[in-house]
Amino acid sequence: MTGGPRRTRWPLAATALTALLLWLVGYPLLITLIEALRSPSGGFSLETFSTFAQRGEEWLALWRSLWLSLASVVAAAVLGVPLAFLFARRDFPGRRLLTALLTLPVSLPPLVGVLAFLFLYGESGLITRLVGGFLGMSEAPWRLQGWPAILLVHAYSMYVYFFLFARAALLATDPSQREAAASLGAGRWRILREVTLPALRPALLGAGLLTFLTSMASFSAPYLFGGSFRVMTTQIVASKLNGNLRLAMVESVALAAVAFFALVVSRRWGGGSVVAVSHGVAAYTAPPLTGFGRWVVPAMAWGFAFVLLLPHAVLIVLSLVPTATWTVELFPPVLDLSNYRTFFTDARRLAPVVSSAWMATLASAAALVLGFLAANLGRRQRGRWRGLLEGMVVLPWAIPGTVFAVALAVTFSVDQPWAGRFLLIGTTWILPLAYLLRTLPLTGRAAIAGLAQLDPAQEEAAAALGAGRWRSLWRVTLPQVRPALAAGLALAFITSLGDFVTSIILYTYENRPIAIEIYSNLRLQEIGLAAVYGVLLMLLSTVVLFTWGEGRKAGAI
Amino acid sequence: MKLAGSLVLSLVLLATSGCGGGGDGVTSITLYSPHGRDLLQLYEETYEAAHPEHDVRWLDMGSQEVYDRVRSEAANPQADVWFGGPDTMFSRGVEEGLLQPFRPTWADSVPESSQHPQDLYFGLYLALPILVYNSDAVTEEEAPRDWEDLLDPRWKNKIVLRDPIASGTMRTAFGMILSRSIAETGDVTAGFEWLRRLDGQTKEYAQNPALLFSKLTRQEALVSIWELTDILLLQRQGSPLAYRFATSGTPIIDDSIGLVTNAPHADAARQFIEWVGSVEAQELAAEKLFRIPARTDLPREELPTWAVDVIDQLQPAAVDWDRLTKDGTAWMERWDREVRSKG
Repeated sequence: MTGGPRRTRWPLAATALTALLLWLVGYPLLITLIEALRSPSGGFSLETFSTFAQRGEEWLALWRSLWLSLASVVAAAVLGVPLAFLFARRDFPGRRLLTALLTLPVSLPPLVGVLAFLFLYGESGLITRLVGGFLGMSEAPWRLQGWPAILLVHAYSMYVYFFLFARAALLATDPSQREAAASLGAGRWRILREVTLPALRPALLGAGLLTFLTSMASFSAPYLFGGSFRVMTTQIVASKLNGNLRLAMVESVALAAVAFFALVVSRRWGGGSVVAVSHGVAAYTAPPLTGFGRWVVPAMAWGFAFVLLLPHAVLIVLSLVPTATWTVELFPPVLDLSNYRTFFTDARRLAPVVSSAWMATLASAAALVLGFLAANLGRRQRGRWRGLLEGMVVLPWAIPGTVFAVALAVTFSVDQPWAGRFLLIGTTWILPLAYLLRTLPLTGRAAIAGLAQLDPAQEEAAAALGAGRWRSLWRVTLPQVRPALAAGLALAFITSLGDFVTSIILYTYENRPIAIEIYSNLRLQEIGLAAVYGVLLMLLSTVVLFTWGEGRKAGAI
Repeated sequence: MKLAGSLVLSLVLLATSGCGGGGDGVTSITLYSPHGRDLLQLYEETYEAAHPEHDVRWLDMGSQEVYDRVRSEAANPQADVWFGGPDTMFSRGVEEGLLQPFRPTWADSVPESSQHPQDLYFGLYLALPILVYNSDAVTEEEAPRDWEDLLDPRWKNKIVLRDPIASGTMRTAFGMILSRSIAETGDVTAGFEWLRRLDGQTKEYAQNPALLFSKLTRQEALVSIWELTDILLLQRQGSPLAYRFATSGTPIIDDSIGLVTNAPHADAARQFIEWVGSVEAQELAAEKLFRIPARTDLPREELPTWAVDVIDQLQPAAVDWDRLTKDGTAWMERWDREVRSKG
């Protein structure tokens, strides 16, 4: 790491942080592994593992999880990266607004998003019926089922990672480098290959890893669309619901192992040289599009945004449909505000909104601090320490939410302070803790990617000029990584706000969050009310995304 | 950033100021229940009017999830009353020590078969799996009359079922088929063969009841198996659904109630359980929300006519409940592995 940042003189802080992360992230998983190894009679055995290994369908589910996640990465990158280039490098009418619109799929929480897809593209969905009617078909032209449906939902919701991360990285790169390369005679492709892409690499790897691990842990889409196409997460839930908790644990261990392997591989790819850029700040004004492209590109971008926003639109429509009135009609026959009236006239219905808001605020703020500290301390450490710190930060994403929740529930269901275990189950605090752990990879990866682009010379200059560590952090480091951190924070907040899979295991009466209320409304056939909560969640998420995710953009340009 | 800051601040203020739980001297009773908002809210309001010293709080969730939650919270129980779900689920809870004994006075009015021998739970309502169809698309004449009719080629790909892994109702219906197979042939082979044929007819397994009803009312499928109370409630809301009791018999599920081990407010919970089984509460649920009381001592003239009709029409199917409790998990695992999407 020649030319890397200064090594810290205080390994104590790194040690303490590593210990904290190990306890928060690693320890519950270790307990889960021990539980999985426990035989029904009480001792230890590999019995459940061998049952697992002998079943073909378990291996099949694992394989499907793997290739589906890889396919999701490809699909999300193919969508997201070109868009990031377009929006970072070219100016055209409506660019700012479109940028905001394109990030909106993140504001659709998984459960609600999948529901919206169902009412759009499902067998009796709006688009399906429109297309079927247009083609004069009596049967639905397609069925929203199996891996294509899951892949569609994944690409839709996860391309945003590539778009946001790549765009933030592009905005943070110094245009003078490209200009220099161009003046030295480098062609377009050569600049792309040798200047731009190396600078983008941390962001692309970050987004790729997030997409891969999110797909591995994805539950709502395979659950609702998978049918007999079982992936590992649905397999785990089936085992758990069927009362075979031990098999569920073994399945989670297997899934976690694959995800962990992916983590190691990506670290090997990304762990080499990180090119530092940006000496000083050069303002970059995106040139406007010219000629034919001036009209075609915005038109296509708007068309794409329209398709992206259809699920949001259908959600709003659903929230206006009174219970049991929309059956075989193409468009809903009745639209009124009765669901909203129900929502606003019953104070109890507001409680989940308040719970979700405070828990998500607390969890994402804590995740930001922890993620940044780990990334910042990690880059000053040698390989192994760094790997451990950064690994712990990213690891929770590899663990399916359900399993992490179970692991936390198991670990914190006994009061043994000497063993690092406290009685948290059944209290209000275990759920925000779970949110914190689930969103740590979002803030952590954002911080790692942001810091990787930092020019160490600036910090060295600050130190040479006599700035203390805190002053240098506050005045030099933080302002430059702020766009990345803000994007990470926004994603973390939104993820917590709409979380379903961990909540379902750990919520209590006092802190039941929005997604649980939605789930409950669905159970009670109140699809309209579920949509009202979905709309609310969408609006809250959108506001946060715009103010935090975008507001600091100016700092990067 | 400022906007976000003020938003967060106002939300935190809201969180700390609002929703401040029950006041002084009020004991809360927490119910975990699959019964749904209608019944729970009705009971909450009616009970609290008569018992101002109690605050009834409830969480609605699937019956399998109630079991799962009570089990995972066993170290620090949050629920006082486990209110609802098939008795087979309760007996699994008993095996894990999740229930404590309490015998309400109304227990004597419930058939012996609907009681746990050590007073750990009692049947409160009857839940009845029935044949459901979309009445816009299927006439009463055409509708299936018995379980056997579901295998008719005309229903190929017209059947949608609730995913049996997560559903107590479906587990019981499948358990009945397998019980029958044991009674007639000595083992479950024929039963699984029957279920495989049913799987071949089935277009889709819905992941929750709402999706099941949505697919039925939107005519993605026309026929299903589900529980009577839900269908009656949907009919009242105007859904185009109709039902029929299977001619060869209906498996009768004892929808039960029990007191959670180490319940934080056990005394208040006992009073609530006592009230829920009272004549008043049972008639209220029957009249307003289509629950069929498990008590056998309610005078017919005080029950709504639909309930009297149901009780008269009802043909209990023979189910080996002990066997179902014991082998149900293994059966469903086998179904999941060998039958799902293989028929």
